[in-house]
Amino acid sequence: MLVVDDDAEMRRALRAGLTYHDYDVQAVGTGEEALRQAAAWRPDVVLLDLGLPGLDGFDVLRRLREGDDRSAVIVVSVMPGEQDKVRALDLGADDYVVKPFGVDELVARIRAVLRRQAAVAQGEPVLRCGALDIDLARRRVTVEGRAVRLTPTEYELLRHLALNAGRPVTHGTLLRRVWGEYALGDSYNTRYVVAQIRRKLGDDPANPRFIVTEPGVGYRLQA
Amino acid sequence: MRRLLPYGLAVGGVLAITAALVLVSSRVAVANLGLAYLLLVLWLGARYGKWPAVFASVLAILCYDVALVPPVGSLTVADAGQLGSLLALLAAALVTGQLAGAARRAQGEAQAMAAESRSLYELATTALRLPEVAAALELVRQRMLDVPSVREVALLGLEGDRLVRVTGPEPPEEARREADLAWRRRQPIGLMLDGERLRLLRPTGRQLNRCVLPMASGVLLLTVTDEEVPASGLRLLAALLSLAGLLLDRRRAGHEAERAASLAASDQLKAAILSSISHELKSPIASLRAGLTALLAPAAQLTRDQRELVEGLDRNASHLDHLVGDLLDMARLEAGGAVHPRPEALDDVVGGVLHRLRPELAAFALEVRVPVDLPPVPLDEQQLGRALTNLLENAREWTPPGRTITIGARAVDGAVELSVANDGPPITPGDLDRVFDKFWTRRKGGSGLGLAICKRVAEAHGGTVRAENLRRGPRFTLVLPLSPVGAPSRVPQATGEPDGDGRVLGGIRLC
Repeated sequence: MLVVDDDAEMRRALRAGLTYHDYDVQAVGTGEEALRQAAAWRPDVVLLDLGLPGLDGFDVLRRLREGDDRSAVIVVSVMPGEQDKVRALDLGADDYVVKPFGVDELVARIRAVLRRQAAVAQGEPVLRCGALDIDLARRRVTVEGRAVRLTPTEYELLRHLALNAGRPVTHGTLLRRVWGEYALGDSYNTRYVVAQIRRKLGDDPANPRFIVTEPGVGYRLQA
Repeated sequence: MRRLLPYGLAVGGVLAITAALVLVSSRVAVANLGLAYLLLVLWLGARYGKWPAVFASVLAILCYDVALVPPVGSLTVADAGQLGSLLALLAAALVTGQLAGAARRAQGEAQAMAAESRSLYELATTALRLPEVAAALELVRQRMLDVPSVREVALLGLEGDRLVRVTGPEPPEEARREADLAWRRRQPIGLMLDGERLRLLRPTGRQLNRCVLPMASGVLLLTVTDEEVPASGLRLLAALLSLAGLLLDRRRAGHEAERAASLAASDQLKAAILSSISHELKSPIASLRAGLTALLAPAAQLTRDQRELVEGLDRNASHLDHLVGDLLDMARLEAGGAVHPRPEALDDVVGGVLHRLRPELAAFALEVRVPVDLPPVPLDEQQLGRALTNLLENAREWTPPGRTITIGARAVDGAVELSVANDGPPITPGDLDRVFDKFWTRRKGGSGLGLAICKRVAEAHGGTVRAENLRRGPRFTLVLPLSPVGAPSRVPQATGEPDGDGRVLGGIRLC
């Protein structure tokens, strides 16, 4: 695991905390060093602070994703702004955590990300999310064993959320994936379709079991 | 000398023609010889106007009578027919003179107007090309001063909601007041501009008149003497006025663009400063919490006492984080520009917040009464989420474990109300108005900002907040106005859509 943070105390704390949880941790303070380390030993997870001096977190993320690097990237930032989250997710971050956070919370995110990576690597034909099953091979969706009829658009959106289960997916990404690269329109479209899916899955938007709203960012299917 | 020339020509012409006629009539008899004068009269009328022609015709009648009508040498008329032709000659002189005069005047005016338009055109192009609007307006002002009877001109331009002198002398106090009055009432004083036509209204008995004309982006102050202004002068003045109006518009647009740019720059600066402060304050708390929680891992093998100590410290660090967060949120809201509302489904926002807070609210019974068919509300998801979070955290502080916290929403006239009620002690009636005040708090260790932030968020959405005591405990309500009547609401309702053939929304086919 690679921790990238310009704050030395933070690096020390995370190295200690994650080591206690049996992770093998390296910590660096600059973007350049992060890219060198990532290329050298291919960490499973990169914890990337966005506010780095020089080459900033977004640049590092972009370079990581430009290469064939398949490390999971969890973005860390003190800025809770939606735009930064959306930008990082659209650049290929797997999740984001807002500072300050407890190590437990971070470990939970890391586990979720690793679990998903493993599931994707195995190419599981059936994605499971609590009582919700999505059979990718047969394009079948069931809730508690009961089949749910979805339109192609609804299925496509749900499938994309399921492939990223546990990871927030931005409105923009959903639009592009479901409607195509040059889709017109905006988050209203995804909102409308998500409302439909929730209704069909029997999911209460005010108390969601499956699809959780990430305010100002997009949606996350609960893993 | 020039004025006498036509009369000289008339005398010379008449005498020459008379001499010629005397010569001719002594050799052959020709009827209506008098018509020969007509040529001369017509020429004079066309060339020099009515009076030389009339003069020539009278002279011609006299000469003709004396020299050619028998008895020659005396002024008598024997033949009625000849008298008739003489009168016809006179009439021809009058009519031709009149016509020619009118034509000449029209031509003169046309030439004058052409010259006037040309010079106006030149002025306009020069003025509009000048990069400095004030210099262009000064050009126009100088030109207005050339109009007869115009004594002084000053132009005031609009800056924000104030009138500022742009060009011309600083107007006296009284004139300024008149200008302000005229501007506020959109009512000119002392003149009337009706489309292209300008009229000066002159109260009798005043030597100098001040006229005030309010325009779209400024005011013109005009001082005129009581002399009559020729029509061409008024026309020119009207044209110059509209040019000045255009230039003032341009000045105002430039000014507003500048102002907007500087406001945006100052907003950006505030945001940058706040973001830097936020970084400075939050970073140490972040490493503090990361370090403390790292020690809580079982592998750290702390003793129970050490563990409790560390847990307590982490709680304090969290609390500090919270206080700093509240302060920064408040500062952002007060700096302005932090709220960007767009139509959203309220149940969705509530769901997002509840999902995040569920662990903290695990000790309470949650009742969510948010209808799915609420109209979309223009709101800033993040800021409203913050406000709702604060309301829920407030409820958490005051609700005994196991009791109920109720989140409700309903559509009321032109607005949607979002409320959080909890079982718990009522608020002292006298404090109901104060709970949303900054730094006011009922408990120790509270920042006194949580509910104040709710109020700011509601206000930034054009809404209000209120607190009241219900039977079971207090209720806090945010009132969020809906989009103005007629504005498109593009978030569809989440209920009752048939599974049918899909529909078109926002340019994309949904099915």
